[in-house]
Amino acid sequence: MSQNKRINLSRRTVIKGGVLLGTAVAIGLNPMKLVQAEETVTSVATNAKKQIGFSYDEGKCIKCKACVLACQETYKWEKDTPWRTLLRSKKGDVLSMSCNHCADPACAKVCPVKAYTKRESDGIVIQDSSKCVGCGYCLYACPYHAPHIQKKTGAVSKCHFCYELQDSGSGPRCIGACPTQALTMGDMKELSKIGNLDFKGLPNPNITNPSMIAIPK
Amino acid sequence: MGHWGWLIAIYLFLGGLGAGAYLTSFAAEKGLLGKTTNLNRAGYYVSGPLVAFGAFLLIFDLGQGLKKPWLIINMFLNFSSVMTWGIYILSAFIFVAFIKGYFVWKKKQAPGVLSYVGALLALSTAAYTGMLLAVVEGVPFWNSYIMPVVFVVSALSTGLSLTSLLAHFFEKHQAHEARVTQVHLGLVGTEILALVAFFALIYSGSQGAVAKVSANLLLTESLAIPFWLLLIVIGLVGPLVYYLQLSRGYKKSTLLSEEPGMHGEAKQATRSSAKSGKLSLLFDGAVMVGGLTLRCLIVFAALPVWNGQIG
Repeated sequence: MSQNKRINLSRRTVIKGGVLLGTAVAIGLNPMKLVQAEETVTSVATNAKKQIGFSYDEGKCIKCKACVLACQETYKWEKDTPWRTLLRSKKGDVLSMSCNHCADPACAKVCPVKAYTKRESDGIVIQDSSKCVGCGYCLYACPYHAPHIQKKTGAVSKCHFCYELQDSGSGPRCIGACPTQALTMGDMKELSKIGNLDFKGLPNPNITNPSMIAIPK
Repeated sequence: MGHWGWLIAIYLFLGGLGAGAYLTSFAAEKGLLGKTTNLNRAGYYVSGPLVAFGAFLLIFDLGQGLKKPWLIINMFLNFSSVMTWGIYILSAFIFVAFIKGYFVWKKKQAPGVLSYVGALLALSTAAYTGMLLAVVEGVPFWNSYIMPVVFVVSALSTGLSLTSLLAHFFEKHQAHEARVTQVHLGLVGTEILALVAFFALIYSGSQGAVAKVSANLLLTESLAIPFWLLLIVIGLVGPLVYYLQLSRGYKKSTLLSEEPGMHGEAKQATRSSAKSGKLSLLFDGAVMVGGLTLRCLIVFAALPVWNGQIG
């Protein structure tokens, strides 16, 4: 008799537990779906909007670092937390890269304080350091290591495509400093016809759809 | 690349531990852990404080937020950020767990809805600690659907262990329910299976080469000693073997007590199960060591999808 009773009790409680577990699984899975759904919606939407981006031609680059120096002079970032870097390999490959102002910016998605905004007018991803709490989540999320925490402030900063200069009619400092026009900019609709950022060991561009193309030499 | 280290690992562990402790006492209250259980209070008391303390630690991992704490309030803003969801889930859970703890302390019946909402928030808290990492595509090792499953099962297991430990030291009424052993056996077994699935998925290549490099760090390289010793042997296989032995012992003693001529042996079995109650404290501790090690290893083994080099 007592055995029967115990089984009855457990059946009811097991059902209750099952319902709880089911709800928890639903809570766990639904947000994942939501995030993915949101991703597809924004990527479709951003494709329709204007998106400017960088173009880098490795064959034209003379490795002078003028792009990096002009950026550093203007924005005074700390040397080990750069906005733009000139990457070089032992084989002699070279790439000048900053933030790629991705069509699907992972940084903006994960930032809890909404320090990142993506401009409607040109797709520039601007990070507002004054809002940043320095949690470091965007540093993990960005596949290109574009955001860095500045040691002095404890806040993230990164390339903003010289949006203020662009708004006042001139171009970004890095592009202006490049003597060979290895680094240029343009509308991604046109640039993506010429190339992409599937370049020498860089991560799969499908993760964030970077607004940059690199033409290997 | 990010800077997450010990503080984040401990925070993820405490989040899971507090959530698991709440769910243990909730399960005990609902009769899921046997009739004579003494686990129906301790977990409620510690759940809110543990998660709150974990969240407090998190503040010290911040950069500018530590200098300008008023900025932290903005962490409620971005609904597309899993971290923001976490802030909501944790705040709600801490709130509900403290209220529930108060009711239990005053020996008053808490509204049924409150207990269930707390349980739901506890499960969400445990799942969130895994989701925070699992959604990061920039770290292939984390970017796995199995990650939240491993974290939830580990949270339940460590929570059950902590509650059992606390009940042993602070509850006057002592109980050794066979059901608790069975549940813990199931949890540890599930965690082992989930971890096997987690690594199998990575070595199947579906998450790319970098995820395999991270996995290698744990299985054969720099993190192999804590992985095999603290997580696998002490935290999982040891408890698995112990709970397996114990649940066999319970079955035997039930069989014996049902046969009229065997009272002496049955008594002996009961006595040995009381002795094993002491031993089980050791394994409860081991389960928690495993749980903390798991969080640390997962955080430390994170490698970015791109190492910052070209060529």
